[in-house]
Amino acid sequence: MSFPVYKTDKSRELFTRATKVIPSGVYGHLGPAEGQFIPVHKWPVFSEKAKGTYVWDVDGNKYIDYMCAYGPNVLGYGDPDVDAAAMKQLALGNCTTQPAKVMLECAELLVDTVATADWAFFAKNGNDATQGAIMCARAYTHRKKVIMFNGYYHGVSPWCQKIDYPGVLPEDVANNIMLPWNDIPLLEKTIEENKNQIACIIAQPYDHGNFHDNAFPEEGFWPKVREICTKNDIVLIIDDVRAGFRLDLAGSDHYFGFEADLICFCKALANGYNMSAVCGKEFLKGAMSSLAYTGSYWLSAVPFAACIANINKMKELDIPTMFKQKGEKLCNGLVKAGAEHGINLIASGAPALFYLRIANDDSMLLHQEWVAEMVSRGIFISSHHNHFINAALSDKDIKHSIEVAEECFGIVAKNHPEIFG
Amino acid sequence: MMTDARTLAYINMYAVLGAIENLCELDKEASDLVKTKKPVAIGLDVTNGPSATLIFKNGRCRMEQGIKNCDVLLPFSTPEKFNAMVDGSGSALPMKGFTKIGFLLGKFIPLTDKLSKYLRATEEDLKDEKFFEISTKLMFYVITVALSQIGNNDEIGKFSASLIPDGIIDVSIKDCVSATIRVKNGHMVTIKQKPEAFRSQMQFCDIHVARDLFDGKINAIASIGEGLVEMHGLINMIDNVNRILDRVALYLA
Repeated sequence: MSFPVYKTDKSRELFTRATKVIPSGVYGHLGPAEGQFIPVHKWPVFSEKAKGTYVWDVDGNKYIDYMCAYGPNVLGYGDPDVDAAAMKQLALGNCTTQPAKVMLECAELLVDTVATADWAFFAKNGNDATQGAIMCARAYTHRKKVIMFNGYYHGVSPWCQKIDYPGVLPEDVANNIMLPWNDIPLLEKTIEENKNQIACIIAQPYDHGNFHDNAFPEEGFWPKVREICTKNDIVLIIDDVRAGFRLDLAGSDHYFGFEADLICFCKALANGYNMSAVCGKEFLKGAMSSLAYTGSYWLSAVPFAACIANINKMKELDIPTMFKQKGEKLCNGLVKAGAEHGINLIASGAPALFYLRIANDDSMLLHQEWVAEMVSRGIFISSHHNHFINAALSDKDIKHSIEVAEECFGIVAKNHPEIFG
Repeated sequence: MMTDARTLAYINMYAVLGAIENLCELDKEASDLVKTKKPVAIGLDVTNGPSATLIFKNGRCRMEQGIKNCDVLLPFSTPEKFNAMVDGSGSALPMKGFTKIGFLLGKFIPLTDKLSKYLRATEEDLKDEKFFEISTKLMFYVITVALSQIGNNDEIGKFSASLIPDGIIDVSIKDCVSATIRVKNGHMVTIKQKPEAFRSQMQFCDIHVARDLFDGKINAIASIGEGLVEMHGLINMIDNVNRILDRVALYLA
């Protein structure tokens, strides 16, 4: 079977228009540069509509979307239960002078759901949550320094970017210490060398960085880090913005068998309604309260209503188990399809957030070629970033994705007789 | 952001004066200017900085690292003094080679003036198609060589370079000119020719796009989105090179 190859002329036309009035046309991770649309003409830039696991672009092409808006799509685009709860709240009020009581109900639900949570603080984006968590740790400890693990991504505030990024000052990142994963002796040595100076360790629950196979920490790593933090009065922050709720509804720290002091959520909180949260332990509530940290839309009611409906539905569906099963089924199928053409596709990380890489060469060139063929046949994946499962993804969608993948592996193999001949 | 004189001296030596090699290839007048009966070697030695020898032979020029059997030696006690000589605000006195002073004043200085004309081209100059092509090619070489010098010497550049995975990067203007950037353990080397194979590639679609990017007339990120600049392969190599590219503009401004 041969799958039709999409054209994206309308997207291209709109992108050119966009460059005139928007810096770089579409900036950030959704744009063609950071999103690594290689080559650009194979990729849709603007969407027309979305429903369930599907997105339709402005050229009318339909995609199974494995990026899920880079995470927020957890139940399926336009989930009827979440949307109904949001619309009901919208009719009552959204951005108002006094927050709606749904905010309190949302906080109570998070405290009941997240293992480490004694309280919940709300904001809008993941970056707001990680920034708030760092400020809270510094307010509590009165210390400056922050330890992060290699391959980290904790948002876009200057402190969590790198010294060579445009607009970032050396002073912004002067208190950051980067360490490798799994090296407990080095962590202990670093803390000893910076005695009473480390405010916090902030880390994703596992290494789900870009450009490399994703990896869980070694057995015993997290309990040991927990022990070291407690011993040295260092606040342990888990950045669960990306993985949160997809591994464990009680938080990814719970999944890995330890308790964070602060945990940051965003993407899977409200199925696309814009909110983020920091949850934390009782002893940090005072420090969080002390922060001058708020925003015009942070306490808007509609996302809270969506969040409550979303969390309740995730519990009802047992999302972590469902995502693991769907992710494994998809990844196993893709790997097998690749092997039939001599292509070594490696699927790594948690199946709910699978990362893909063709390992026949060390340049990603084959992988980018395969990804481009997939996208232009309606399977929206990424060449550099982990993917996301959502609840609306059906077995039929998975089967179709694997069939398209098989055709695309065949095309790549045929294009490279020097490797596969 | 801060720049430092020592890094600028490395850029001036290997990227700017190093472009004389290419000038003599691309511009017949430049080549004719340095045609001599016997080869002439000019040594440039910067204390606490770079040293190199420009060897002129049969109208061609080759730069070698270090001072090797030079006929004329131009010493500089500081990177700042060397940089002043390159930007025209200072001068140099030869320590040896007074017999070749004629070559230095009559040929080498006019040659560097010619280089400056290409590298600091006016809009009027660029209306000439041939001038435009030579000027843009020379800028390409200056920029690609400067990348490695910044990656190896500038403090922030070294941080960026340390994050580049080992391998070969192909930087090209399509169907025009290419450079190889070889990276190993955070050390960068630019070779002014196309690599046989690469781990990542950044390619400008044509010389006009390249020129507009060099001159800051178009936006690099938007150009990637429009397909005017293509990236392939291990993108984190290019991503970190682009961080250094930001600093090239700072040093060469």
